[in-house]
Amino acid sequence: MAIIETFNLSRSFGKNIAVEDLTLAVEAGEVLGFLGPNGAGKTTTIRMLAGMIAPTKGNAMVAGYRTDRDIEQLHEVIGILTETPGFYSRLSAKRNLEYFAGFYSSIQSPSQQVEKYLRLVRLWERRNDRVGTFSKGMKHRLALVRALMHEPKVLFLDEPTAGLDPEAAAEVRELIHRLGQEGHTIFLSTHNLNEAEMLCKRIAVLHTRLLALDTPDQLRRRFFRRQIIVELEALDAKVTEAAEKLPFVQEIREEASQLILELTDSERNRPELVKAIVEAGGRVVAVSERQYPLEEVYLRLIREENGNES
Amino acid sequence: MSRKHIRNILLKEWVLLFTDLNSALVIVLLPFLVVGQGILYIWLASRFAGESMLTTQVFQTALQKLVAAMPAVAQLPGSEQILVLLLSQFTFFLLLIPTMIAMTVSTFSIVDEKLSGSLEALLATPVKTWELLLGKALAGAIPALVMTWISAGVLLLVISAMGWGYISGFVVTAGWFLTLFLLTPAVAILSFMLGVTGSSRARDPRGAQNTALLIIFPVLALIGIQVTGIVWFTPSLILVLALVIVIAAFVTLRTAVRLFRRESIVVQWR
Repeated sequence: MAIIETFNLSRSFGKNIAVEDLTLAVEAGEVLGFLGPNGAGKTTTIRMLAGMIAPTKGNAMVAGYRTDRDIEQLHEVIGILTETPGFYSRLSAKRNLEYFAGFYSSIQSPSQQVEKYLRLVRLWERRNDRVGTFSKGMKHRLALVRALMHEPKVLFLDEPTAGLDPEAAAEVRELIHRLGQEGHTIFLSTHNLNEAEMLCKRIAVLHTRLLALDTPDQLRRRFFRRQIIVELEALDAKVTEAAEKLPFVQEIREEASQLILELTDSERNRPELVKAIVEAGGRVVAVSERQYPLEEVYLRLIREENGNES
Repeated sequence: MSRKHIRNILLKEWVLLFTDLNSALVIVLLPFLVVGQGILYIWLASRFAGESMLTTQVFQTALQKLVAAMPAVAQLPGSEQILVLLLSQFTFFLLLIPTMIAMTVSTFSIVDEKLSGSLEALLATPVKTWELLLGKALAGAIPALVMTWISAGVLLLVISAMGWGYISGFVVTAGWFLTLFLLTPAVAILSFMLGVTGSSRARDPRGAQNTALLIIFPVLALIGIQVTGIVWFTPSLILVLALVIVIAAFVTLRTAVRLFRRESIVVQWR
């Protein structure tokens, strides 16, 4: 069942169109990656979905609430991690979180809830320290707790690892991964393609308009055909010939000691291919599928869109 | 739910207010400066000017209004009539305390949160705009009010310590109580509402500060009206005035809520 649904969601600022006709659906429990270049409308989309700004056209439903009308109810059931952590630097971590927790009717005991989540992000020992003394990574983890502690149905994360050092980014990523596995619905806006691939089931690419929405593998297939790489001890003409004769081999080429093949069905044809190579005297070292980085898919999508625009 | 939200805002604001040395000093010291300055002025006036003040048109008019409202004052010697007049007028000067505290404290209440980014996070919670604005206004108005009452108490102690206790019966009247416990709270809430509204509309701290300067003018006008004797605020007039100010505070809150642009705060303040 879709927990986020948008229908031609659009937003303009004066003459500038930030988001245009965005229609998508996100299933409950799904982690959706939201990619796009700077100024593509990612943050605007998140703000519209979080009921913080109104669309100029179209509408959206999040957790059963209209994002432009049922704002108070919506804010009870969503959590948002904004780009800037935004805390009161003279207050302790615990006091900061208890303050924000105090606005949610679902939180019966703010101090218990704060303790639970501060322990989760390993900040419990620093609970009484002023937030002003925290590193950027710690503030990000704290902001994640703020977004999470009322146990929202949908979590919006706007570039949660931006500007963090690799260690801090890995910690935040690990936390998001854990939340995803626990069944949280997460709408993750990021510039980091590896992060998106690592954490998300599906990926949406936005450039004012929605350019693509699919699993990383399906997105790859949109631009690149699947290629099987057979690594041999040594390449032999007999082996290539044997492989070439197979009816399901669509394309074949040699590269050093490797055969690069395109098959009708990469999964099902693979055992028969290996069998034929071995029978032809080939000594197989490894069989793998060529992995195109998601970055290449992303760049193609953006370039295509830029080409269309110009 | 609203009461819980407002209480939450109050407690947080107080922690922030009293952990900031500047704000704490303004709230604690400013009232005593106002009272000290007033007493010094009254002492100087009665010591050096005395009855000669009655020769000026302004004081004559004001005294006539006072005597009309409180005929027993006419039985006192001229110098004591002046003292009663000055001390009675001083009650209105106490209105400066919440107003001046509002100018310094409320000015930054929203603008600081805009700059730190905490306001965006706050606007993502189920807090309502009116709860936020009222909570912030009350967080400043309540301590300012308490300090005004303490200052009034200190004023009475000083009056008696200076040997003027025998005229306190002419000063501590129904009007005095109404001014302190009805008019002052109304002025405090209105001042802080105006300050918070200015802060929420300001683009930067300087803009907020400039807007805050306007808060003090209505109080200065009230003081001016009374000092010059244009109007002598009798208990019934004070009652009406307090009611008008309460209505103005309510209207200010409604207007502030309408003027509070969540969208532009979220979009423009990053």
